[in-house]
Amino acid sequence: MKKEVVAMLLAGGQGSRLYVLTGKVAKPAIPFGGKYRIIDFPLSNCVNSGIDTVGVLTQYQPLELNSYIGSGQPWDLDQSDGGVHILPPYVTQGDEGTWYKGTANAIYQNIGFIDLYDPEYVLILSGDHIYKMDYAKMVNHHKETGADCTISVMEVPWDEAPRFGIMNVDEADRIIEFEEKPKNPKSNLASMGIYCFSWKELRAYLIDDELDNASQNDFGKNIIPKMLRDKKKMVSYRFDGYWKDVGTLDSLWDANMDMLARNGGLDVFDKEWPIYARAPRKAPAFLGENAVVSHSVITQGCTVEGAIENSVIAHSVNVGPDAVIRYSVVMPGAVIEAGAVVEYAIIGEAAHIGAGARVGAPPEMTKDPGQWGIAVIGPFCEIAGQEVVEPNKMLDRNHEEVRRK
Amino acid sequence: MNRMHGIIFAYSKCEKLKTLVEHRVSDSIPYAARYRMIDFMISNMVNAGVTDVGIILQDKYQSMLDHIGSGKDWDLSRRHGGLRLLPATPKNDPSRAFRGNMEALTSIESYVQRIRQDYVVLANGSLICNMPMGDVLQEHIRSGADITCVCTPHCNMEKKTTYMLDEKKNITDVINGSMLAGGYEALDVYVLSKKLLLELVMECDAHNEYSFRNAVLIGMKDRLNLHAFVFDGYAARIDSVSEYYQRSMELLDSSVRADLFMKDRPIRTKDRSDASTYYGPESQCTNSLIADGCIIEGEVRDSIIFRGVHVEKGAKVIGCILMQDTVIHVGATLKYAIADKNVTVNEYRMLMGHSNYPLAISKFSIV
Repeated sequence: MKKEVVAMLLAGGQGSRLYVLTGKVAKPAIPFGGKYRIIDFPLSNCVNSGIDTVGVLTQYQPLELNSYIGSGQPWDLDQSDGGVHILPPYVTQGDEGTWYKGTANAIYQNIGFIDLYDPEYVLILSGDHIYKMDYAKMVNHHKETGADCTISVMEVPWDEAPRFGIMNVDEADRIIEFEEKPKNPKSNLASMGIYCFSWKELRAYLIDDELDNASQNDFGKNIIPKMLRDKKKMVSYRFDGYWKDVGTLDSLWDANMDMLARNGGLDVFDKEWPIYARAPRKAPAFLGENAVVSHSVITQGCTVEGAIENSVIAHSVNVGPDAVIRYSVVMPGAVIEAGAVVEYAIIGEAAHIGAGARVGAPPEMTKDPGQWGIAVIGPFCEIAGQEVVEPNKMLDRNHEEVRRK
Repeated sequence: MNRMHGIIFAYSKCEKLKTLVEHRVSDSIPYAARYRMIDFMISNMVNAGVTDVGIILQDKYQSMLDHIGSGKDWDLSRRHGGLRLLPATPKNDPSRAFRGNMEALTSIESYVQRIRQDYVVLANGSLICNMPMGDVLQEHIRSGADITCVCTPHCNMEKKTTYMLDEKKNITDVINGSMLAGGYEALDVYVLSKKLLLELVMECDAHNEYSFRNAVLIGMKDRLNLHAFVFDGYAARIDSVSEYYQRSMELLDSSVRADLFMKDRPIRTKDRSDASTYYGPESQCTNSLIADGCIIEGEVRDSIIFRGVHVEKGAKVIGCILMQDTVIHVGATLKYAIADKNVTVNEYRMLMGHSNYPLAISKFSIV
């Protein structure tokens, strides 16, 4: 059946900078903010924006992501017409077909899927951003301006602009130039990696791009610059809410801490814009006789006997007596034994921190502040009793040290 | 494991539950911070591989319909079989309540006829326990009994039926009421073949019999081979407000929680898409069971807090049960109280009950 808008969610990223956490998980399946996974945000945005047809492009370690999305029921995307579809790369007759070579190639390989719904517009979304956005407003903006492509942008501090893809616009907010990580930015409008295309236009560009052997088949590097060169109507759509790319361990930790700022970050208690998640079936959290919890988020299935301060705790985490967790993110099923101290750290899924162990430390306690960073314990990693894991250190599931990328 | 069908009786109305059953049947009373009582029995069945469950309803079932919906949250929303809600009334007099569960079954006789499994488990929606129902079925088949009745060696409920057993766990006597030494208390969970159930339904209908216990267990004791399955885990039945309070507070005991919430047999409930609970900088929260979706900024002690509750700064909640979306405003104090859904307690109010006479505040009240 015909749909006005189809959303395509790029969830294939290997997340190499998050490697220590993603060993066996695709980046969008990483737990976030207590009960969520990163992909819950774009998926919920789709549903809340009235978009009921979503393709999720996966290729790297898709098992966990696939089983998490399942039929799409938690997001009301289990529909007989439309709904959520997992789209891995595939091989066609005569062994044609490849891994997704780039973001544009991923969409190119799924032209057939999009054509099924004969949409007017296609939204390209990224699977590793934390934000709440009404895509319907963006699509309306696209329609009203008669654009061929609309790119969602937000103002970033000028000194941070060189880290982003920057859009230079004219007085009507029409994009005249795109610069990837410019040393001397002319504007502070950063691309959020959210694109709305008129499908006919994009379809033609994708086919064209595929024929070009020199192309990296990437939206930012190839499709957008080509459309600009061709003087297509490229319009920016300004967004001023909370938005965070969680592509690095530091930004992942930061964004989790933002969840604690009840009025500053993202309001997940907002009934008008709920964020849906596949919730595990767990008993309510139990806070023991000596539990001390402040300025923190705790999820069902947890048992807390120790102290938790300024931290985000996912489901089924056990915190033993006299254990202390400060400024940390603890992922599902982790165990923090009695007397262990976890500070400025990310503890991966089902990791085990032995009694009296010490993971991470506050920046002010570090001898060499230049060497300070959050400590990261990979999923299923076992930290022995009394073991000390220095700040900035990262251990993978086999307790082997991983260098920061 | 697909050979058993489930039927749940979900229309009990215990007057001593007062405001808790003002708008609902006992079976849909919120319990354990995020569940309704009936969640336990539905989950027991689903965890035993039961795919078809019929729930008999009568009166005040709006809250139940709202909670159960299509059965999706229990994986019972199916094209073939799945969950069936069965609102029913006594055949010969629709205006009165069922006198017993046999009368309820006769009112859904055509449904019983169409059951596609060989065995049926009958249970009350208000029994709180995490029971291995698959084991009950296996034991039923192994023993070759006509009816397998589940009972408990713990006599914490006093007022129900007692079974006397021989060494092979066959039931030698069924006693109404008082618990005799060496007896086992009935949990009113029965497994029998569909064929026998249908015969019993028709026979009771013909003789205007209405009670499973009296007509079948006591009345046909000599004719039927009754076997017992002794369930040793935690089981609770709740018939009054103070009992509700006590049974709820028992959940703060980790051994009770371990008996009710286990990894392999999870209790399922309606998903509300709540965020994780946020604890404010000044929150003090100890010895409490807290669901998701709450904002705790004040003091909470020895309490059971349901989804979406907000305890504001300076508020004190001690020994309380606060149901869904209740709000305790700044500086208010609440001790030994049960606040039903969506109660609002305004700033600096003080409300106090006692642990053996908890104060019950009805749904949507503003204090």
